[in-house]
Amino acid sequence: MSQFPERFSAGSTMTDGDYDYLIKLLALGDSGVGKTTFLYRYTDNKFNPKFITTVGIDFREKRVVYTANSPNGTTGKSFKVHLQLWDTAGQERFRSLTTAFFRDAMGFLLMFDLTSQQSFLNVRNWMSQLQANAYCENPDIVLVGNKADLADQREVQEKQAKELADKYGIPYFETSAATGTEVDKAVVTLLDLVMKRMEQCVDKPALDAQNGEGTSKLDAPPVNEKKCAC
Amino acid sequence: MDLSLLQALEREKVLEVLQRDKTLRSVEEDRIRRLKLELQELRRRGAKSFCRQYSERTCARCQRPLGKFWNSGAVCRGCSHRICSKCRVCVSPHEWKCTVCHAYRDVKIKSGEWFMEERAKKFPRETDKHDTIGEILLRSYQRLSYIAIVPPTPPPVQNVFTPPFNRLSSWKNSKGSPKPFTKSMEDLMMSFTTRIKKISKSQEDVRAEPDLLTVEHGSIDRSQSDTAINISANQVPCFQSLFKRSKEQVQERRRSSSALCGDEDTSQSSGYSGEKRGSSSSTSTDCGLIESSGVTGELELALAYSFSSSCFEVVVGACRNLTHGDTKKKKCHPYVKVYLLPDKSQSTKMKTAVIKNTTDPIFQETLQRSIARELLASRTLQASVWHSETLRRKVFLGEVLIPLDSWRFEDSSTQGLMWYPLCPKTEQPQGGSVEQVAGELLLRVKFSSLTQICKLNSTGIGPYEVGQFTVVIIGVQNLSSSKHTSSFIKGCLALPGEREMVQRTPVVKKGPSPAQAHQLTFSRVTPHELQDASLQLEVWEHAPFSVADKLQGTATLHGGLLWQPLQQAPNVWHSVSLPLRANINNRKP
Repeated sequence: MSQFPERFSAGSTMTDGDYDYLIKLLALGDSGVGKTTFLYRYTDNKFNPKFITTVGIDFREKRVVYTANSPNGTTGKSFKVHLQLWDTAGQERFRSLTTAFFRDAMGFLLMFDLTSQQSFLNVRNWMSQLQANAYCENPDIVLVGNKADLADQREVQEKQAKELADKYGIPYFETSAATGTEVDKAVVTLLDLVMKRMEQCVDKPALDAQNGEGTSKLDAPPVNEKKCAC
Repeated sequence: MDLSLLQALEREKVLEVLQRDKTLRSVEEDRIRRLKLELQELRRRGAKSFCRQYSERTCARCQRPLGKFWNSGAVCRGCSHRICSKCRVCVSPHEWKCTVCHAYRDVKIKSGEWFMEERAKKFPRETDKHDTIGEILLRSYQRLSYIAIVPPTPPPVQNVFTPPFNRLSSWKNSKGSPKPFTKSMEDLMMSFTTRIKKISKSQEDVRAEPDLLTVEHGSIDRSQSDTAINISANQVPCFQSLFKRSKEQVQERRRSSSALCGDEDTSQSSGYSGEKRGSSSSTSTDCGLIESSGVTGELELALAYSFSSSCFEVVVGACRNLTHGDTKKKKCHPYVKVYLLPDKSQSTKMKTAVIKNTTDPIFQETLQRSIARELLASRTLQASVWHSETLRRKVFLGEVLIPLDSWRFEDSSTQGLMWYPLCPKTEQPQGGSVEQVAGELLLRVKFSSLTQICKLNSTGIGPYEVGQFTVVIIGVQNLSSSKHTSSFIKGCLALPGEREMVQRTPVVKKGPSPAQAHQLTFSRVTPHELQDASLQLEVWEHAPFSVADKLQGTATLHGGLLWQPLQQAPNVWHSVSLPLRANINNRKP
């Protein structure tokens, strides 16, 4: 089945384990901001203008090739990434179910509707939900203002949203699931953040040990080591 | 968090998503296993054994000798081994790691281990850092569906314990490889131990029974424990045994150990318990009295059943005058464990907290377990008191067995706290037609109305309409007595007015858990009749060369509450699992 692993497309069967990373991202935000259509646009590059409310939770998958920029500036290696994109119901009555799923996601697409001031105001609430339920206190989040194509109905100004994003120290994108604008970019930015976070998490203990006082690691080597002049 | 708040259709939708997630997860687990095997292989190749000391000055990875002045190697920051320049991977311009440390780091990232660790930092209380919420929900739903109604699609009946086990097996060798463990290897050990903890759900159990972790010991205990459970499930309170003493010291040892083991976690081995279990007659001696410490004292209990939430409740009040668990030090840290026999699975175990240093502990704990009322009648409440000490085997302090078949839960006067004298592990009564649990029968039942076509709009079936009652036998699990025989199942539906309908399935040739998918159809039944009907299912061993077939077990399905869902949701399959009881008297089919 997986004879040609380098060829990825959303339509291919993605049942094999031929990938390097499984990254779990989750979209959250008020009901009707376009989480499902956003993800549908990203995975299938299609747009469904119909509003079908998500029941509890759902997920979509996509395989992408991620090219890391290695720290010394050279073009890094390419990795196959299997993305599991969790879609959550925005409706209040599913809240306890959806927030429970926050703990399993590595990165978050916090979405609001550019044509709805209320959905933007609720971003704060979603942020505190994330802080409480996500895997760590400051997870990787990308703020997404969706429905950018509906310029005439716009209620949230770019400056406003940008300020909020800066306050939280997270990237901000204005997307349109209808036209596909910036959708890919938002997800890829989040993926990039998560990939960097992974490295940090693994290397951080080593750095801590280096900087910290008498570490076991440096004291541990056997006595023979000290005789070595070099 | 559970799914009971959702509507049936919504729940189905969510479960479908969770199933998809499960498939993805199993692919992922396979991949992680492969990654870890590769890492292990790499480490084995470069393993520097203890017998070859550092004085030899070789690279820990490629084993090439290192010079004194040039190519003298350097110490890897990860593992503290001396590494030649060829076995290094540059992480940054200033930093490098040896190949193994680098591969270890790589696996940690690729397997998502980094994420689990981060999350465990924030939620340290969670029992299993590998569990995803989807997995937990699915599992809790499975437990729910075990006793309740299930949507038409069969629920997942996969062993949830498999993933941790597989992970463990891939790590097992890493423990044994003779290699100095320093920083990064310590991490490995850490993750190894956390994996072990996962097997026995509560950490306390692990600490208390460390020898459970050794392989040889474990395998013996396991098989014994299965038998022990099988037998203890049939115990009835037996006061005279209180005064019996076993004669031989050796035998006493063996008994107590087997009884202790019988209490251990058995859920993992239940899958193939049928293979390991010996004949019941030969093992019944193993489960005698435990007289390592004489049983004294009483246990205060109250039983209740909440009909609104289908929940069985046991209030464990207190104990008094217990014997010392540690007779030498005169110590006692008691706790109470409750099973609804014959079900001794880990998932349905209920236990109280451990009260330290007392022989008169006060628990005042309410233990709950959701179970259908009609299933309770076939259960026996086993409340046992144990002494728990860190790093020690648990010591049995006595038990109380209350058969629930005649318990009147409807009567509020039975709900008060009562003192029950503690009994030793009771001896297996010899001979007679003792009921013995022989396995489990998995069924799906449906009541379909024959007039459904013209009454599509009506939600239920009228009480006098004639319908068809269908039973599909999905399988027989853990059938103990037969190893590789053929069997068939006979169903007898007894209706009021002495009407009886008998159906039997064709003979199926298979092993101890024959996967049957045969249908028994009882037509011309009205829902009204079903109300008072009882269905007896008998599993028969088919002996082709002898005249008489042998009855292996029976299971009965009756009670108004069980029929109710059938009527309320006609034309829908309902899953039921019934304990199979072995009947000693031989009968003809």
